[in-house]
Amino acid sequence: MSTASPSTTAVSVAPVRFSPQRVWTLAYATMTQLMRMKILPFLLLFCVLVAAMGFGFSVINPEQQLSQFKTMSLGVLQVFSIVFGIVSTALLLPKDLEDRTLYTILSKPVPRFDYILGKLLGVLMLIASGLVIIDALLSLILWMQQSVLFDSAVAQLHTEKQDTPEVVAQMREIVARQGLTWNLHWAVWAIFLKAAVVTTVALLLSCIASSTLFTIVITFCITIIGHGHAMIREFVFQPNLGSTATRTATFLLAAICPDLAQFDIVDSVANGEIVPWAAVYEMTGIAALYMTVYLFVTHLVFVEKEL
Amino acid sequence: MSATPAVSVNHLTKVFKGSLGKGAFRAVHDVSLTVQAGEVYGLIGPNGSGKSTTMKVILGLLSPTSGDTSIFGVPSTEVASRHSVGFLPENPYFYKHLNGRETLHFYGKLCGMSGAKLKSRAEEMLALTGLEDAATRRVGGYSKGMLQRLGLAQALIHEPQLLVLDEPTAGVDPAGSRIIRDLIIEFRTRGITVLVTSHLLEQMQEVCDRVGIMAHGRMVREGRLNELIAVENQTEMVLENASPDLLAKIDALVKAEGGGTRLLRSGHPRTTLERLFLEATNAPKEP
Repeated sequence: MSTASPSTTAVSVAPVRFSPQRVWTLAYATMTQLMRMKILPFLLLFCVLVAAMGFGFSVINPEQQLSQFKTMSLGVLQVFSIVFGIVSTALLLPKDLEDRTLYTILSKPVPRFDYILGKLLGVLMLIASGLVIIDALLSLILWMQQSVLFDSAVAQLHTEKQDTPEVVAQMREIVARQGLTWNLHWAVWAIFLKAAVVTTVALLLSCIASSTLFTIVITFCITIIGHGHAMIREFVFQPNLGSTATRTATFLLAAICPDLAQFDIVDSVANGEIVPWAAVYEMTGIAALYMTVYLFVTHLVFVEKEL
Repeated sequence: MSATPAVSVNHLTKVFKGSLGKGAFRAVHDVSLTVQAGEVYGLIGPNGSGKSTTMKVILGLLSPTSGDTSIFGVPSTEVASRHSVGFLPENPYFYKHLNGRETLHFYGKLCGMSGAKLKSRAEEMLALTGLEDAATRRVGGYSKGMLQRLGLAQALIHEPQLLVLDEPTAGVDPAGSRIIRDLIIEFRTRGITVLVTSHLLEQMQEVCDRVGIMAHGRMVREGRLNELIAVENQTEMVLENASPDLLAKIDALVKAEGGGTRLLRSGHPRTTLERLFLEATNAPKEP
């Protein structure tokens, strides 16, 4: 048997640094991989359903009709983006491992952080693309509905001989507030931020877990808990409620789970309330903070993962 | 040729922790080996002998429990060590939505290549592995042999000095297998170091300069192939067009020599079944 050289002869070379180009290559490959998994036709089908839904409501009054349309479409969009983020992220890593694609990628000079960031960005890019398409479609439908409803409301007022300039102006204001405004885009942005945070949680769990099903189920549980974060905090800080052990466990749960209620502005937007810029900045900052922390922990886990 | 070994494994031990009540499993136990630059080194052994685990530690996919490994002197734990290595895993799959050329571009970009250099290198690799005609076909439609060749092409895309091949001919038909063996021989002529594992010992015998035999996580034999397989007290002569008279004379000479010298066997040497298969299947079609 030949004698191996001692480890002290190790040569020092320049370390491989973070490369945005490499991350982009991985992200783009991930996005196209997901698109080939027939996600896009599903997305388009969803758009068609939303479009049909926009014209399918029975007329109650213009304000209610527009509000109902926004509530339903944004609600479905929220569920869709979260489900897509969780399921696709939970599938990606195990699939790369099973197909040994992960081995061929990581046996190249690719830092593991670049790999996980590329995967995350790929999923987020596809979610963002889908949301941009749907946002454009919703805007178009809302703008059309707004015009149609205003005209029919004015015609109704005219029939009832109540079309005074004051009443018409009031009607215009109501319809405009419930129609196409920047608020719709902020609601879609909030939906994206929430999906992005949940997707990062799913990525972390898929690095820890060996089963796709486990990742999906636990991420859904965390998503549900995340929506009740305020209740959990209230329980933790109430000294008279529960035993110390229960409160400690609840505190840990609150520390682990993201507060997803921070991104719940869909109802406000549906009710025609104005979303201030400050709220948008705050939401974006909170999402960035959550994602940075979860991504950092994911890196710590993945860098030590035995492949 | 560089004095720094291409691969150096020093007293490597790898223990996998047991999960939920299962005991720990020692996959590799105190293995040391050195692969010199420019040689073809075969790592052979039965299933579960620790070959793949050793390879994964060399590639930095697994961390050693004790001991260390390095590639051209750079510790395997450093990502930079992967600049000089190309890896073909057993039965590789690639992103099915990409075609052959796009796959090579993808792996080239991961290695920091771009532009005209990447394009020309990808074309060169497609030509080397005989995949030019399939370059625009989706990888999902490739045969197993084509996937292996594409695997070799991606492993070579960034011009590594070392190739690590895990069962490169697994599941490939004899003709495809022959192509891969010829490629390994060509890599050696180009000065590329090859570390290869295979169950097909005859193939390993054809391409390897040195071999290491692993069993139960340990290195049980290692050395130059010719030295390991030579039967020291026997001599082989192969005669062409020898008459029965000449054979009888040789036999008589051997008997006359006496002592411990004996003619053990004589007869017609046989070709291998693989060679026969290749000759039969490569014959031109009759009209």
